[in-house]
Amino acid sequence: MIKRLYKLWPSSGILARLTLLHTFLAILQGLLLGLLFPILKALLKAKPDFGEAEPWLKIGAVGLIIYLIITAIALPIGFDASMKLSAQLRHHLMTHVTRLPLGWFTGNNKTKLARILTADVGKIGTLAVTIGAPAITSVLVPITIIFITFIFNWQIALIFLAILPFAYFTLQRAARVSSEAEIELDDAATEIAGRAIELGQAQPVLRAAGQGVTGTYRMRHALEEHHRVYKKGLGRSAVPDLMYTGVVMSGFIIVLIFGSFQLINGRILIAEAVALLILAVRFLEPLGALIELIGALRAMDNSIARVQSILDINSLPKPANPVLEIKNSSILFSDVTFSYEGKTTTLTDISFSCPPGSTTALVGPSGSGKTTIIRLIARFYDINSGSIRIGGVDVRDYDNEVLLNDIAIIFQDVYLFDASIEENLLIAKPNATRAELEIAATDACLHEVISRLPNGWNSKVGEAGAQLSGGERQRVSIARAFLKKSKIILIDEASSALDPENERSIAQAINNLAKDSTRTVIVIAHRPTTLAAADQVVSLDNGKVVELGSPEALRTSDGSFAKLFQQYEKARDWHM
Amino acid sequence: MNIKINYKKIEHERLKKTASVNYSSDSTAHTEALPPPRLIGGGALMRLLYPVRFYLLSCALLSAVGAAAGLAPYIAIAEISRLVIARPIIDTSINEIWFLVFIGCSGASLRLFSVFISSRIGHYADARTLHEIRTKLVAHLGILPLGWFLFTGSGAIKKAMINDLEEMHQLIAHALGEVIGATIAIVVGFGYLLYVDPRMACISISVIVLMAICFQIAMRSISIHMSRLTIAEGKISAASVEYADGITVVKTYNTGGILLDRFAAAVDEHTKAMLAWVLETRYSSTLSRLLGSEMTILGVVMVTGLFFVYNDSLSMANLLPFFIVGIGLPTSIVPAIHGTQGIRKGRVSASNIENILNKKPIHQAEDKTTPEEYQIEFDKVSFSYDGVNNAITELSFICEPGTITALVGPSGAGKSTIANLLPRFYDVDKGAIRIGGIDVRSMSSKTLLSSMSLVFQSIALLRDSILENIRIGRPDASLEEVVNAAKAAQIHDVIEGLPEGYNTLIDGSGGRLSGGEKQRLTIARAILSKAPIVILDEATASLDPDSETAVQNALAELIIGKAVLVIAHRLHTIASANQILVLKDGQLVEKGTHMNLLNASGLYSRMWNAQTEGVKS
Repeated sequence: MIKRLYKLWPSSGILARLTLLHTFLAILQGLLLGLLFPILKALLKAKPDFGEAEPWLKIGAVGLIIYLIITAIALPIGFDASMKLSAQLRHHLMTHVTRLPLGWFTGNNKTKLARILTADVGKIGTLAVTIGAPAITSVLVPITIIFITFIFNWQIALIFLAILPFAYFTLQRAARVSSEAEIELDDAATEIAGRAIELGQAQPVLRAAGQGVTGTYRMRHALEEHHRVYKKGLGRSAVPDLMYTGVVMSGFIIVLIFGSFQLINGRILIAEAVALLILAVRFLEPLGALIELIGALRAMDNSIARVQSILDINSLPKPANPVLEIKNSSILFSDVTFSYEGKTTTLTDISFSCPPGSTTALVGPSGSGKTTIIRLIARFYDINSGSIRIGGVDVRDYDNEVLLNDIAIIFQDVYLFDASIEENLLIAKPNATRAELEIAATDACLHEVISRLPNGWNSKVGEAGAQLSGGERQRVSIARAFLKKSKIILIDEASSALDPENERSIAQAINNLAKDSTRTVIVIAHRPTTLAAADQVVSLDNGKVVELGSPEALRTSDGSFAKLFQQYEKARDWHM
Repeated sequence: MNIKINYKKIEHERLKKTASVNYSSDSTAHTEALPPPRLIGGGALMRLLYPVRFYLLSCALLSAVGAAAGLAPYIAIAEISRLVIARPIIDTSINEIWFLVFIGCSGASLRLFSVFISSRIGHYADARTLHEIRTKLVAHLGILPLGWFLFTGSGAIKKAMINDLEEMHQLIAHALGEVIGATIAIVVGFGYLLYVDPRMACISISVIVLMAICFQIAMRSISIHMSRLTIAEGKISAASVEYADGITVVKTYNTGGILLDRFAAAVDEHTKAMLAWVLETRYSSTLSRLLGSEMTILGVVMVTGLFFVYNDSLSMANLLPFFIVGIGLPTSIVPAIHGTQGIRKGRVSASNIENILNKKPIHQAEDKTTPEEYQIEFDKVSFSYDGVNNAITELSFICEPGTITALVGPSGAGKSTIANLLPRFYDVDKGAIRIGGIDVRSMSSKTLLSSMSLVFQSIALLRDSILENIRIGRPDASLEEVVNAAKAAQIHDVIEGLPEGYNTLIDGSGGRLSGGEKQRLTIARAILSKAPIVILDEATASLDPDSETAVQNALAELIIGKAVLVIAHRLHTIASANQILVLKDGQLVEKGTHMNLLNASGLYSRMWNAQTEGVKS
């Protein structure tokens, strides 16, 4: 674990210094305790011999002062380290994340990232310092004491030494068992958490079924289960927990009995015996404290593993001689096969070609692979076989920035930054003039929205653009595409029902985008109007191209596209 | 041990905080602003723990015994030392030594077992309390007004059932025993030292007291700093989420800089907040740490003790106990500090839990009347969420069985309020809502809710098998009836296509099912329930066109012969409704059939024109 801890940081200097400091402190503490031997030997004579004790007392005083000074110094250093370590690790992680392929940024991963960046990194930073120090003390003080005891009484030292392996193994076992029990209990608690959410969400349903007061039987079961697992865990960890403390206690008892035996038989001096017993207490006490640290160490270990899991993700391979310019906006899929990691094949042998300036509509039932195709063009992921060419060059051969520079993606969920509309547009072209902004807004049918907002161009869009409706956000992102003058536009048309006004504006804006004769548009289409306006339709099902052709031709061919088209029209005309 | 004292407390606090900053809305947005008043939740805690009071008493008693016994070996060693130094070893003293060894060994064993058993009892009490409080919470939630769930959200329920109870767990299973044990250990240890030499005892204990004072000073501003740190962590989280959310924009427009700056600023702020705290308390915390070190005690005891020995006012024999028992005193105080914190948090949590348990339940009717027919009647209904502005004013209408009543109007007109009042999410302020002539307030919640199917945008699925999810509509339905309902809701084929068919488990988010499929599942449930009233609130608004048709077909099956209340965006979907109620600002402004309303050239006809124009162009 220590190795893994060090591996996390790009520069582990602080951590090393801190470790060194506490190692020194722990050994010094052991040595100072060892000084009790000569001191007590001198002072426990019938008449305390201060003369003999003096040099030892002086050494002890100096040692103690050093110890206290270093302890006082170590505290701010520890705080400082904890802050720096967390900050460093946060920056390091974030820098790593910026290089990850776009495909990595799924909802789950984003939540995970936020959690790791705050909770886990914070935990590692603080625990490395707060638990690290006592852990070092708990291990090194006893070991130093063993060495010192060897000098004065090898039998007792051997007893000390013999305790260590027992302590180690019982501690390991206790830690393992309690961690297993903890995982089970965690699962049971997670289940209850899920049921609690369900209880809130489905309350009307539950009451209608007469289960409002009792909860579903699954809820009751989850509660019972937690109770059961809890008790089971208690039962299982009882003996291991008892064992470790038992070992430490027995060690103590053995030393006590053996020491008393030697004392009574006159084998050791009284002073020595007293010193030994005092050391025995100081030897066993830190060991006993170790079991309290184990839980925290385990928590840190889990956090380290989670951080490492992100650092272990590779970014997409970079080409040796990246192509730095996209010649034209043609797109060519040849026999593309792709599957998301560890999943069944998502796309199989996809081939189609979009000449520069054309508009291609992708259609198909949900799960047919439409969105995946769009992601692959922008190289969110690398394909398994086949090739995707833009302007005749494989997307993997472009410099990634160059590639993305010429692609504008308009997603269903458009993300806006918490800033004004103007700033959100300027993201696409930071040096755009007022006139350029106006033109882009007009082309994207965004003008009407801006004129309606209280502060016009300066209106804030709220967190994630919450002040605007979904359709309005999409128009902002279309305006960005205009401003950027991207050669390739990828659109995931809003599929859910938009209000008619938005729907009309977006259709108009997409039409405007497609007008440019050098611009290639690929759109995942859900609306008959968009479909009808496309130059060609790629109809997908189950990751395969099932039909390919002009919309007019396909509509009359009675194939899957024709059916889908009818279905879309029917949904629009549906009434009760 | 020494190193941990103030350090660990701070970090402990901090970690706890970190853990409670959760990155979704489901958790403590309002993280308990640390409670300065000491008595917060004290009463609540007592009440909640009342059922396990005997467990807790024995737990406390055993902790006390364990702590006292734990000192026995130390005292035995100290006494042996005193014995052998005071006079030479002769036969009688040999017996005394063995007797002391025996006392020490028994003390050690007694401590081992009593602490062990005390911890067991605490944990068993805890297991029982968790279970009982959770059951109680579930039962109480079942009688709260349904509207409470809309605003409070499931996150609060989860917080009470998991986070708050975990704090209680800390209290019951650990804190209580720790505090009592530590107190007894200090009292007994100090008592013994007083017996040996009062002067030295007072000197030793004064170090501990000084330490405690410094510690209090170091911790005086903990709540201010903690909340600043919590906010900073929230910002780090928000910045990372913002970056990740906007990653496609960032990459395609090459504008990561701004966002990474925000992230860096958040990290900096966190470091600064930490630094401010550390700087403010640097002297007090360093002092308290030094004073809490066993090496400090060793030094103090050594210097003062030897001074007294040198002056012949203290014998070496009487100094030794301070090396043995005295040095251990700081070790005892650590658990006491942790423990008092645990108790404080437990109190806050207990009052959180009790807040929920004390929420006023919705009035339940004594008279369990069941309507014979299912005409819906709103009779001069007024309702306000905040007691100031009416969401609905003097609204009256009747919806006959077998007919469709559509609610239309701009957003904020009160449509959803109507949909929420009928199932009694809230009680009306004025007027009455009746089903078949019976006031909804005089029906049991089971009768009322089982008489209607709610198909809303937010889909309520249970984390159970598909079969059970449909069957909860009518728990005594046979498998065949469930399958028929699924077929009618056009979801049967989808279910059959799943590897485990009807036994497929649905997790929290609905797992493999798409939004439209989940919606159809709830419609199948509604069809099975045969509830005579159907309320549809924008049921298809969030669906993609691929699922829309299927859901529409399912809905068509569902509403046959029912009294239907429907809220719709797209007016053409409700053009053939039996009556259309046009609402504006909580008031009924127009009412009639589609043709009537078009001819009236009012709000409805303007809305209609705006929409049809849109579709045609």
